Amino acid sequence: MDFDFTDEQEQLRDATRKWVDKGYTFERRRGITEAGGFSREAYGQLADLGLAGLYIPEAQGGLGMGPVEGMVVMEELGRGMVLEPLAQTLIAGGVLSGYAPAAMQDAWLSKIASGERLVVLAYQERAARYKFEKCEAKATLTHDGWTLVATKSIVPAGDQADAFIVPALVSGKMALFLVERTSAGVTTQGYGTQDGARAAEVMLDHAPASLITQDGLGALEHAVDIGIAASCAEAVGVMDKTLAITVEYMNTRKQFGVAISSFQALRHRVADMKMQLELARSMSYYASLKLNAPAEERRRALARAKYQLGVSMRFVGQQAVQLHGGIAVTDEYIVSHYFRKLTQLEMTFGDTLHHLSEVSARMQDTAGVFA
Amino acid sequence: MDLAFTPEEQAFREEIRAWVHASLPADIAHKVHNALRLSRDDLQRWAKILGKKGWLGHGWPQEFGGPGWNAVQKHLFEEECALAGAPRVVPFGPVMVAPVIMAFGNAEQQQRFLPGIASGEVWWSQGYSEPGAGSDLASVKCKAERQGDKFIVNGQKTWTTLGQYGEWIFCLVRTGTEGKPQAGISFLLIDMKSPGVTVRPIKLLDGECEVNEVWFDNVEVPANNLIGEENKGWTYAKHLLSHERTNIADVNRTKRELERLKRIAKAENVYDDLRFRDEIAKLEVDVVALEMLVLRVLSAEKSGRNSLDIAGLLKIRGSEIQQRYSELMMLAAGPFSLPLIHEAMEAGWQGDFPGAALGDAPLASTYFNMRKTTIYGGSNEVQRNIVSQVVLG
Repeated sequence: MDFDFTDEQEQLRDATRKWVDKGYTFERRRGITEAGGFSREAYGQLADLGLAGLYIPEAQGGLGMGPVEGMVVMEELGRGMVLEPLAQTLIAGGVLSGYAPAAMQDAWLSKIASGERLVVLAYQERAARYKFEKCEAKATLTHDGWTLVATKSIVPAGDQADAFIVPALVSGKMALFLVERTSAGVTTQGYGTQDGARAAEVMLDHAPASLITQDGLGALEHAVDIGIAASCAEAVGVMDKTLAITVEYMNTRKQFGVAISSFQALRHRVADMKMQLELARSMSYYASLKLNAPAEERRRALARAKYQLGVSMRFVGQQAVQLHGGIAVTDEYIVSHYFRKLTQLEMTFGDTLHHLSEVSARMQDTAGVFA
Repeated sequence: MDLAFTPEEQAFREEIRAWVHASLPADIAHKVHNALRLSRDDLQRWAKILGKKGWLGHGWPQEFGGPGWNAVQKHLFEEECALAGAPRVVPFGPVMVAPVIMAFGNAEQQQRFLPGIASGEVWWSQGYSEPGAGSDLASVKCKAERQGDKFIVNGQKTWTTLGQYGEWIFCLVRTGTEGKPQAGISFLLIDMKSPGVTVRPIKLLDGECEVNEVWFDNVEVPANNLIGEENKGWTYAKHLLSHERTNIADVNRTKRELERLKRIAKAENVYDDLRFRDEIAKLEVDVVALEMLVLRVLSAEKSGRNSLDIAGLLKIRGSEIQQRYSELMMLAAGPFSLPLIHEAMEAGWQGDFPGAALGDAPLASTYFNMRKTTIYGGSNEVQRNIVSQVVLG
């Protein structure tokens, strides 16, 4: 039982933070949002730091690191609300290196690690909401190989990515496929999202696809859990920064002739924000430390974590706005962006009510971290 | 980073578990598991068993006869005791006054008082709160006047937990009125059998007498019962509070009670009611998050890195969760938690009301009792003041 970071992990944190602070200023971020919500150049800089290869084996050009390193990096990206979807890259690295045939790994992993290729998960469907085991996409094996018919929604950077990891049914059973965006039969419809980033609807009309694994549901559950752990860590970074900005504002802003941080009604809200932040940080640790556990244990743990993070995110975001007052509902001021980011993260990879029902359904007679 | 305990820590846990299993009387464990009334004898029997093993003062350093365990070992010990159904150690002697005597008492006081605390022979009480000094503890008025080689004590303490059993009491008394209120407080040990000490139990809303008023009427206390220097008692009291740390969250007992809540919910046929079940699920996450918070503090203590100043958060969260599980237990039983039958608090009671079938104490009584948790030990609002001071300055 040990929650200290190694020196290497601290170095990884420092390097990421330095890039975020210097290379990903609020002004640059605003520019990226105005230009559509995704910058290939910025993504390339993340890859240059080695971050795109975090979960890719060293033999394939990656760093071969684990969930704790992923957590450290995502926390830092969260602090700067980085728009480029590194969580998706962690998923792609984890899923392809864990489930894909060797030839596909050879063809893709080193290019993902270098940043040359961006691969994202395209799993959400309109009718399924968060229940990804409900899937209408269908795969057919023709004499030329697999083809997919599907519509996937809110795919991160969906009209910019090079390829998609797509779940689809084969004779009623879910399998996982890789589909290239430039293939025939693939169309995308991109749009900005509330957090200033970019997503797209991805329509597949008999689009050619390569099989990643027949164990589609198991692999998709794993993919989503990697995404949950990454989102939890990212949210911790966002909340950490949100609280710091709020504290600074309260010690500066004067009303009735005094700093508003002198009012007890407001101070107690800050204490409650700190509570939610530390509970969230604790559960983010828990999520990352359980990410390599056996599937059933992992799924239970990740649902618990995302539930807590959802509660914390909504609370911290709403309180930050309230404590700032009117300035926080302007687009110009940074806190409104943190608030939007938190709101979007709550609904990414399953919202709070969804995960409550997961926790409830998976409840056992025992209790606690080790149950 | 690693969630798992080390093999050495696991082995330590196994050793503790085996010993507790062999040593904890079954009748006491039964009462604890079902929230039945514990007598003075029950509490002291267990204290003496621990004392004989040298574990009543399990947080003590080796030079004072403690086992010299680190923060993680102490946690594992407390967890195994809690899960096995051991009563909570009455903390006033071994956990509260003993560390103060070790740190600030003289050699004679250490020899006089520590053996009786370590063995569980002597029952200690806490004399802090007064009718006019609750959250504002520094405003204590109970007066001790120096007369030669003794103090004459006059005044009143209140909320003295289990003080009806007390043999000795450690008190914050007013010895000076100069300067800030904190400056004139002394830390005095008083024999409760002294002439002029009166203890009056206070009946609480659950019908039980868990706390007392203690009156001092010209009580003579030898001057060599003063700990440290006169008027420095506030410093010693703060030292005492710093010894609470993680056990203030009481997460081990809470895990046991969450398991009990699930058993009660199943027996009362509400576990499959999704609305009710979701409330348990929320609590389940609350408990995991609290335990993770506690483990983070323990890890930081063990390694000496990344110290975490979050005792206030542990108090707030731990107490809120205790209230919530007791609330859900009551709601699980619904109207059957309402009969007020004091005899049903006794083990072996064979009365005839619906809740009796579960062997549980009346569940509303526990709910009422637990309202204390957000009030005592520094109310949760005072804790929020402390937390916000750390965050906002």
